[in-house]
Amino acid sequence: MEYVSPEGLRLDGRRPMEMRQLRAEIGTVAKANGSAVFEMGNTKVIAAVYGPREVQNRSQQINDQALVRCEYSMANFSTGDRMRKPKGDRRSTEISLVIRQTMEACILTHLMPRSQIDIFVQVLQADGGTRSACINAATLALADAGIPMRDIVTSCSAGYLNSTPLLDLNYIEDSAGGPDVTVGILPKLDKVTLLQMDAKLPVDIFENVMGLAIEGCKAIANYIREVLLENTKQLEYRRGL
Amino acid sequence: MVGLSVGEKHFIQGGIAQDLRSDGRKRLTYRPIYVETGVIPQAHGSARVRLGATDVIASVKAELGKPSALQPDKGKIAIYVDCSPTAAPMFEGRGGEELSTELSVALQRCLLGGKSGAGAGIDPTSLVVVEGKVCWDLYIDGLVISSDGNLLDALAAAIKAALSNTGIPKVDVAAETTSDEQPEVNISDEEFLQFDTSGIPVIVTLTKVGRHYIVDATSEEESQMSSAVSISVNRKGHICGLTKRGGVGLDPSIILDMISVAKHVSEQLINKLDSEIAAAEASEEES
Amino acid sequence: MRGLKLPLSQTQRVRLQRAFEKLQSLSAKANSDASLTVADTIPVNYEDAFLKGHGTADLNGELVATVCGVVERVNNLVYVRALRARYKPEVGDVVVGRVVEVAQKRWRLEINFSQDAVLMLSSMNMPDGIQRRRTALDELNMRSIFEENDIVCAEVRNFQHDGSLQLQARSQKYGKLEKGQLLIIDPYLVKKSKQHFHHLEQFGVDLILGRNGYIWIGEHVEARDSMVIDQAKNIEQSTVVEGINQAYTPLEMRQNICRIANAIRVLTSLGFNVDLNLIMETVELSSSLKIDIHDMLGSEFHVLVAEMEAERRSLTTKRKR
Repeated sequence: MEYVSPEGLRLDGRRPMEMRQLRAEIGTVAKANGSAVFEMGNTKVIAAVYGPREVQNRSQQINDQALVRCEYSMANFSTGDRMRKPKGDRRSTEISLVIRQTMEACILTHLMPRSQIDIFVQVLQADGGTRSACINAATLALADAGIPMRDIVTSCSAGYLNSTPLLDLNYIEDSAGGPDVTVGILPKLDKVTLLQMDAKLPVDIFENVMGLAIEGCKAIANYIREVLLENTKQLEYRRGL
Repeated sequence: MVGLSVGEKHFIQGGIAQDLRSDGRKRLTYRPIYVETGVIPQAHGSARVRLGATDVIASVKAELGKPSALQPDKGKIAIYVDCSPTAAPMFEGRGGEELSTELSVALQRCLLGGKSGAGAGIDPTSLVVVEGKVCWDLYIDGLVISSDGNLLDALAAAIKAALSNTGIPKVDVAAETTSDEQPEVNISDEEFLQFDTSGIPVIVTLTKVGRHYIVDATSEEESQMSSAVSISVNRKGHICGLTKRGGVGLDPSIILDMISVAKHVSEQLINKLDSEIAAAEASEEES
Repeated sequence: MRGLKLPLSQTQRVRLQRAFEKLQSLSAKANSDASLTVADTIPVNYEDAFLKGHGTADLNGELVATVCGVVERVNNLVYVRALRARYKPEVGDVVVGRVVEVAQKRWRLEINFSQDAVLMLSSMNMPDGIQRRRTALDELNMRSIFEENDIVCAEVRNFQHDGSLQLQARSQKYGKLEKGQLLIIDPYLVKKSKQHFHHLEQFGVDLILGRNGYIWIGEHVEARDSMVIDQAKNIEQSTVVEGINQAYTPLEMRQNICRIANAIRVLTSLGFNVDLNLIMETVELSSSLKIDIHDMLGSEFHVLVAEMEAERRSLTTKRKR
């Protein structure tokens, strides 16, 4: 099947280096300490953060740091075929672990000892790149909750089909059987914190694809920063003196 | 669910007795309802309903399937509700399972009718394509994003809105098939049949606190309830289903009174909901 | 507006937009430049000796922000004030909390902080008013003073070495709060002021603005003589209170309580500061326009309050010049 036409257009009309439409909204779940909705094309994810609050399970309390917990769940209607089990399956457990480790690396946990931070991510629509969308949404929700972080974390995926590196794969491109590289970076520190790939790829092409994904992450970082800055300014001028 | 002190409980009960609740509502007033349709473009129909701080999404997906041998002239409908942990930390893992099951079963009872499918709020005979061979399987999924009481009413309203938003693809059946073969079907991508939702009921939950009942309880008021009765009423004023929750026994005359109160409240609710749905669909078309 | 979706008509939307634009133009120019997101560099003159405060971190010799907020400079201290965050306690703050646990010689209170705060038995006045050593009997009777889920008003005493908070409730004005409702808002909307207890005479209502974002509105209670009664009388009173209609709050006072509560709800959903003057103005606006208590949460009143606030702020800035 042809994923990139001879004119250089992908199945949904994008150019190979073009990312899908991004949209972020802060403060959707009123009861949570911080929450956000993040959309990358048709992939739509809600993240909610509760905390820092008292540790519920005393045995898990860490004396000098905050305990970070994360749960990833997909809605029944999120994928094309209805899912039987929205949580508890292996993929969800793995993604929960990945998100937790990524966010834990950037939260300054030693500033909130003996407390607990819960990050809940709910996928409303899945069209490829759910892992990345979840991490981006979680970053927004943590910033909304006022939790101190070393740097924001942004994530994007890239692949290689029809001899072209493609940025931000959607579901059809992802299921094509080509490689899928997901990268998460700390933009200010310029460090990679998450790197996952499946299928196989020659090393020099891998460098290209990874570089493309990092470029995508930086673009998302700019967008997230704009959104957060706008939100902060709005809260400040509403509040007045 | 946060606990309440004795003083606060007393205050809430007093408010209900004096017909002035904590946010100024009367006993039979609903919170403002806000409806958005088409929130899940991948589904055949979807809607998001906000009732105060309660936020739920309902989506409708239709797949082709085979009708059951016992009811060859009816399609199948399944309702399933999930409580997302974003609503409350206690819903993580399997914590929300009990509540999800309770809500799913209550919705099934109120909207789907009995085992034979008779008297259902949503008519399954409209879902059949070829009798005995091909029918539509309708999967209605609800997701609770934020919870502040009265989940059942919000979910029923979301399902009604999602069904109004649903377009079932038109199916062309290949003619001339023998009786035991599966006929070939051609699902059209272009034409859609709108679902007829005028017969779909709404659910009115009456929560009894002390000697009075209130409509649309917040989670604080729900923690005070002695019992709650959820009644599903359709536009004609017919009762399509009934569920009672809570351990305290109720006098039968009180239940009859509750039913008449519910019928009275449901008229306004159905009108309000229909106008909100129409407004939501209109704004969805604009965008 | 956090999670607030109001069905606004076209004209209402325009009016609201205009009011917000007015507010935006009134806020100090310096403010908008000082807003930051996470990992933004803070403009600092590195040659001056400066102290790094909250919300900042050192990154490769540069000073960066760790939260989204506004940069504040006080003398040599540079810090980032986060807007929406958990409560940041200071010694002497008046807070309102809910008891989550009755433990040995202490109560644990939830106060919107990263850990639960502790109220020691020795930091409470005894019901009989005598200053004495707490005996084992007192420990066993802790539940007669506060039990689980009670709402308590107290003051921050100090921080423990492990970061948790200790409260004290020695004065007559602190203690258990009953007969009213509790509202939970964001702590950044409650400013530190001299008075946190407000007795609104014309309504007969007590209003306590806890610095942690918990606001109590209730019937006016005289300063705590009720604490100085016998155990026996206590039990007698509580049975009388339960279950008799006359013990309910009178309707007029309840209307006042609900009106004030709704005023606070409207102010928080619009993101405005919650202080006494603003609350009273909002309540007067609603009563003068004869708006029904429940309609205060509707879109029209929100727009009116936004316009009123824009007016008020433009007047105060004009007066300052």
